[in-house]
Amino acid sequence: MSAERTAEKPNGAADGTVRQKPVDRRLALKILAGGVATGAQALGACAPLSAATDEEREVRLLAWQEYIKGNYRFMTEEERADTIARLERLAKLRRGEEVTIQSTGAQPGVVFGYAFNISKCKGFRRCVEACINENNLDRSAATQYIRIFEMEDGVIDFDRADATYQHEVPAEGHFYLGTQCFQCADPPCVKVCPVGATWQEPDGITVVDYDWCIGCRYCVAACPYWARRFNWSAPEVPVEEVNPNQHYLGNRARKTGVVEKCTFCIQRTRQGRLPACAEACPTGARVFGNLLDPDSEIRWVLANKRVFRLKEDLKTEPRFWYFTD
Amino acid sequence: MIRLRVGAAVMFLAVAWMTAGCGERDHAAWETPAAAAALTATLEPGALKTVQTAPVELWRGPGGRPFEVALRTSELESGRTRRFGSITMPTALRTRALGEYPCTSCHLGRRVVMADKRIADAHQNIQPVHPEQTGALCSTCHAADNVELLALKSGERATLDDGYRLCAQCHFAQVDAWADGAHGKRLDGWQGRRVLMGCADCHDPHQPALEPRIPFRAPQIERTRGHNK
Repeated sequence: MSAERTAEKPNGAADGTVRQKPVDRRLALKILAGGVATGAQALGACAPLSAATDEEREVRLLAWQEYIKGNYRFMTEEERADTIARLERLAKLRRGEEVTIQSTGAQPGVVFGYAFNISKCKGFRRCVEACINENNLDRSAATQYIRIFEMEDGVIDFDRADATYQHEVPAEGHFYLGTQCFQCADPPCVKVCPVGATWQEPDGITVVDYDWCIGCRYCVAACPYWARRFNWSAPEVPVEEVNPNQHYLGNRARKTGVVEKCTFCIQRTRQGRLPACAEACPTGARVFGNLLDPDSEIRWVLANKRVFRLKEDLKTEPRFWYFTD
Repeated sequence: MIRLRVGAAVMFLAVAWMTAGCGERDHAAWETPAAAAALTATLEPGALKTVQTAPVELWRGPGGRPFEVALRTSELESGRTRRFGSITMPTALRTRALGEYPCTSCHLGRRVVMADKRIADAHQNIQPVHPEQTGALCSTCHAADNVELLALKSGERATLDDGYRLCAQCHFAQVDAWADGAHGKRLDGWQGRRVLMGCADCHDPHQPALEPRIPFRAPQIERTRGHNK
């Protein structure tokens, strides 16, 4: 079973392959940062360099400490707690948002899988709406993770499908097929990342460390399913619309020049909840669950329905199946 | 006259809801003790705590696991608490979502003829598409002496909260798929207790097909190589 790949090949931080040098550039910068901070505080008492307020100085210090932090995957628990505290404080100071950022890890014995019923989907795009709200997607660039394709009955052909339909649905003689990140068991996007900013978690979710991503967009090119999104400009979400329940690897604030993607709503699913798209679907076309639980709904669908995946010949082993009634 | 009485019933209900503490349920005489006991059960992850459930007795989920059906309104999303201004309320029972409930405020002790124009006016919200297509009468599903109760073919009676038992009499394939997880929706969590939405939470019993809708806005970013037109 494809899900077992993850178990054989743990990608977590504890696998002993951490690439760290005894004293590297980051450590040196960190020491320097400490000096700068102390100096700034000392200067602040007598002759300030500029007319900066306490808040501005705090933002500057926090931003600097954020700039020189390491890759989330290799952080210790303390370092994770520190960066989360800084990010929550920065969200408050910069944008006036009261957010809670989790670092909840994968549950043991859980690999997530998804099934999409193409007989049921009516193309209402309520999943898209829920995804935007849940994951704090950029409103200015109108980023969407999910794409619903309107297809003629009898053919699955993405060249002839229409994803930008805007008419009353369901249309006569058409069916609807939604795509998003399929959380492949052998993800090509992870292989091409030159800096290790994206990886697969033990529960099968492929995540991005937005603060380690250099924005090269190799992963965007490598994904055969067009699942990744690049931030060409700083994402904008109105303060009153921000979802404050966030995860470091999920829906926290992104910035210009980094890649993001669907994480099966990691901030929800690791707490036992359904992804926002599955919860919002008014037709019940979306089935989500634990592939390792033989009595789960997703396993029942895989065992009893006619299922298929997209581009199976690529051997990416998507954990996202389509099925019919 | 009938309009007035319906209006009065709705107002009475609204007041009753506000004063009844919302989470509790009035135990009418026709409710079985088992159903009443099930309502006191609490639920696990997140928002499910606010939803009342009843165990589904005749069906089993994948692996023979028992599951529950949520007793909730048709208009609420995923069993969340609902916010009215500054007040947060738990989700209501389906019977509470029906504006003209209790039906006995009009349909008490006398036979009602739907052909009567006044009656049809009082029920403009009910489009009897399903009965007309199947040739069913009101009394095919509703108990003749009390429209609040559903008459099963076995001679048993079910409340409106147990509607799936009525639907299952014909739509057995759908109910089996529902029990197994391929039809219908699970509330909120993939983990913990399995609570499914009932049939009437998505389907209007009198007009069960989903209505066509205008979709949420289309994506504005073009996919490369013209793959989305």
